[in-house]
Amino acid sequence: MTTGAIEVHLLLRVLYTAFAAGVGVSLVFSLGVYGLIRSNDMRRDHRTLAAVGFGALSGIGLMLTIALIVFGLILLTHKS
Amino acid sequence: MNGDIILVIVIGTALAFDVTNGFHDTANVVATAISTRAIAPKTAVAGAALLNFAGAFISLKVATTVGKGFVDAQAITTTVVFAGLVGAIAWNIITWYFGLPSSSSHALIGGLVGAVATASGLGAVNGGGLFDNLIVPAIAAPIIAFVTASVAILIVYRIVGRLRPGPTSRGFRLGQIASSGLLALSHGTNDAQKTMGVITLALIAHGNISASSFHVPAWVVIASASAIAIGTFSGGWRIIRTVGSRIVKMDAAQGFAAQGAGAAVILAASSVGYPLSTTHVISGGIMGAGAGKRLSAVRWGVAGNIVAGWLVTLPAAAVFGGLVYEVSNLFGHSAVGPLVIIIVLLLALGAVFARRARQAATVPAPQ
Repeated sequence: MTTGAIEVHLLLRVLYTAFAAGVGVSLVFSLGVYGLIRSNDMRRDHRTLAAVGFGALSGIGLMLTIALIVFGLILLTHKS
Repeated sequence: MNGDIILVIVIGTALAFDVTNGFHDTANVVATAISTRAIAPKTAVAGAALLNFAGAFISLKVATTVGKGFVDAQAITTTVVFAGLVGAIAWNIITWYFGLPSSSSHALIGGLVGAVATASGLGAVNGGGLFDNLIVPAIAAPIIAFVTASVAILIVYRIVGRLRPGPTSRGFRLGQIASSGLLALSHGTNDAQKTMGVITLALIAHGNISASSFHVPAWVVIASASAIAIGTFSGGWRIIRTVGSRIVKMDAAQGFAAQGAGAAVILAASSVGYPLSTTHVISGGIMGAGAGKRLSAVRWGVAGNIVAGWLVTLPAAAVFGGLVYEVSNLFGHSAVGPLVIIIVLLLALGAVFARRARQAATVPAPQ
């Protein structure tokens, strides 16, 4: 009845997938928030070029956040 | 005829367990977002219910593990499944009454194991499967959530730490709407499947499905998804208070990191079929997000009480499951035993809820 040794590869898969997803989403979302706030600050100081740059960082960060979440869910539904 | 009646009782009881699971675990999903005021409580609970429903359709691997991984299929009868379920419900209600977050999943599996061991002996319990698929992930998952949330919050503070707190907080509150949604989705994915697995076990025991071709019928998926959504919508304010603010006071960024880590762990575990406890995982995430900022921010005493609750869940539910099987057996193999137990359970539930309602009248729920 026993299944023998622990399936280490499954546990490791959970470990690195969860760590990469959890830390990755926090990282890109933080960059998005950082870009957004700095962009607003620069716009208020009439530094248009810097505002556009931080705006782009914000857009990329937030889009990457959404992309990571969608990618994770697609991966989950395909593997299940 | 008796077998049919018992099967109907088992399916009804399994769905009732699913409702209590959703009810009990609402806190895990929404407490962090509510405690940081990212979402209004009622909106959070309604959204979580919808996403719990949707999440139940994502995967069936956990249902397969519950149905095949822990006990010998030959030892399963509808009465055994019934006893396991009632044992789990009893334990869930006791922990809910005392405001202690335990694990509905471990209660369910503990109840089943106790009932099987009482009916057919310990040999019918798949010790290896229990260790590999339940105990090891149960220990590893909260640790992974803890480490992930700790690292995530350190990175978050490194990036946004010097910005003005007002806009930063507003940004992460928005993020928490997404991370809360993901956590609700992952909860539905992992937890609703446990009920699907148990109902499928009962269908196998009754002869509706062959043990060699394990599959979860579509109506079981829909019924389980609906039941957990109803339970989640009903909410559980007492446990929301414990998980949301008593473990650690947190800001929106910490809430985001904790929920993101929790959802990532649960979804990753669901993809390989591990039936996890959302309570274990999100509590690990919350403690990690707290410890990442400042170790002393975590109220380790409360965290210790919660860990003690976890340790007790599996054996306590197993004892309840075994006891219910023995009581049911006093009435022979007819449907009388399960019917009598259901009536007693409903009366006990009525008494518990009436008492809780009287207490709630003096302590208003948070708005």
